[in-house]
Amino acid sequence: MQAERIESDRQVNQGAFRKFIRRPEIGAFSGMVVILLLLAIVAGDVVFNPLGIKNNLSIISQLGIIAIGACLLMIAGEFDLSIGSMIGFAGMSMAMMLKWGLPFGLGEASPFMAFTLTLCMTLFIGWIIGNIVVRSGLSSFIVTLAFLFILRGLTEVSFREFNEGSTQISGLPDFKETDFFAYLFGGETFKWAFTLLYEMGYNLNRLGNQWVIGLDAKVAWWICIAIITYIVLSRTQLGNWIYATGDNKESARANGVPVNQVKIGLFMFTAFCATIFAACQVFDTNTADAAKGNLKELEAIAAAVVGGTVMTGGFGSIVGVIFGAVIFGLVQNSVFYISWIDGSYYRVFLGTVLLIAAFANENIRKRITGGI
Amino acid sequence: MAETATEPLVKLRGIAKKFGPFVALNGVDMDIYPGEVHALLGDNGAGKSTLIKILSGVHQPSAGEIIVEGKTVVFRSPRDASAAGIGTVYQDLALNQLMSVSRNFFMGREIFKGPAPFGMMKLQEMDIITHDEMIKIGIDISDPHQAVGTMSGGQRQTLAIARAIYFGAKILILDEPTSALGQKQQMEVLKTIKRVRALGNIAIIFITHNEIHSKLIADRYTFLSLGEVIGSGTRESLDGDDIRRLMAGGAEMADLEMELGKI
Repeated sequence: MQAERIESDRQVNQGAFRKFIRRPEIGAFSGMVVILLLLAIVAGDVVFNPLGIKNNLSIISQLGIIAIGACLLMIAGEFDLSIGSMIGFAGMSMAMMLKWGLPFGLGEASPFMAFTLTLCMTLFIGWIIGNIVVRSGLSSFIVTLAFLFILRGLTEVSFREFNEGSTQISGLPDFKETDFFAYLFGGETFKWAFTLLYEMGYNLNRLGNQWVIGLDAKVAWWICIAIITYIVLSRTQLGNWIYATGDNKESARANGVPVNQVKIGLFMFTAFCATIFAACQVFDTNTADAAKGNLKELEAIAAAVVGGTVMTGGFGSIVGVIFGAVIFGLVQNSVFYISWIDGSYYRVFLGTVLLIAAFANENIRKRITGGI
Repeated sequence: MAETATEPLVKLRGIAKKFGPFVALNGVDMDIYPGEVHALLGDNGAGKSTLIKILSGVHQPSAGEIIVEGKTVVFRSPRDASAAGIGTVYQDLALNQLMSVSRNFFMGREIFKGPAPFGMMKLQEMDIITHDEMIKIGIDISDPHQAVGTMSGGQRQTLAIARAIYFGAKILILDEPTSALGQKQQMEVLKTIKRVRALGNIAIIFITHNEIHSKLIADRYTFLSLGEVIGSGTRESLDGDDIRRLMAGGAEMADLEMELGKI
């Protein structure tokens, strides 16, 4: 019955397992499992005790927040190298308002006002970056590299101008104790889980009292942003537009996808993520530093790539980026627990994993587009 | 079939287009009937693509008029043309390779519930419609989540055609749909075109270089050469030699053979 064979018969229906191992997240997922197992063997007692969990999740979520922004933008086919400088800029802006009041002598700044005004500024800068990229047709690599320098420079200049030559602000009032809005960023979350652990007899300090009170608020921010972006990317119309924009923007445009607006919106979203990152830092530590966020943009991009995001756009997932952030955050933090490993091996690890992931992603992309 | 369609769906009258001093089209007339395949033939540079770009709203004609269902229309943009029911399937097909079949089908025109653009897509409904619309013109895709990059060229062509029809195309312009395909897939595409024709209400403009393909499925022909119509007619009124002569831009085969013989 050769004649009855039709073209679509060549698409073999694969079993659930084959489908599972072809998911974009699978590489990052296996990587994460391996790292978790290795750490459990080598330093399980310090990495997975309550304090270790708190510290690890703090680093992971911090990276995770900006990695999600970088990932969405990469799926739409663009890069943002200004994330790190944006973090420094936003932190400086909030800290200066908290210390010296609102601009133009508008009086005292509440944490809410400082955050909102800063967010307006960073979103506006994101909007400018996006507009320059879509209107000029220049590579976003160059445009955002320019903003990496511009924003970092502006941050340092503003600091020195107002702060007697110093590029740091410390000793801000502890707003998270007095102000609910500041507590949202600098406070603690998942307290119930740690109380439960305490009641179950874990989580005790040497005196027998409760040891760790809760996780940093940024963990909750990370989880919220991840859930929302997961739904947006995989289920909504906007998600379809993001994929379409990064895959082939000409065909997306021909079908009525507002390609430019999607890109500008995503540049604004990375600015939003950077601002959340900065707010968590400022309200947690009550300090700001012009050097904050340095190189963070590259770590965010690396986490996105390890999570299965294809560099040329059109392919990637939020779940993968979550795994990517866990891998990098865990290793970055844990090498410091393990005394016989030089902490700088973290960078060697980061580079190696990045390279492997980039090869794997390219392989997947070629398989889908029929290159293999 | 041809005898039931007495009134053309689209009439082109005296369409001319100049690009600076260059005359791309010099007064082209054409009648396009529903339920028919109208082959538009001509050598490279004959003005075929300029003509379809005018029909699909990319270019505006310098002179002449386009009459759709008895009304004169002016297309200022591709959007106007597609609102008037003209669907163009270009050679690149405007498909995204890494995205699934149904996400491509509804790209930019998703079915969703809630405020745009954050509305939730009705993925299941989209899958079902995609599957059904493609079966109507002959391809049964087993998995609507399959990436378009894994489909054959013929299947992709069918997807692009099904999409244009579903979103309201009454006049379907196919720009050399068989040119980049292998033999077998060319036949698949011709079958697809035949099935679209059988729907009865859709007029198809089929642009091709291939005489054999046009003979296999066309009901009516228009031949362009150097921006002018050098011949037209129904399948019955033209015989094979006419078609071959007109395809070669009006040159007689015998003359060509003689010229070649001299070298």
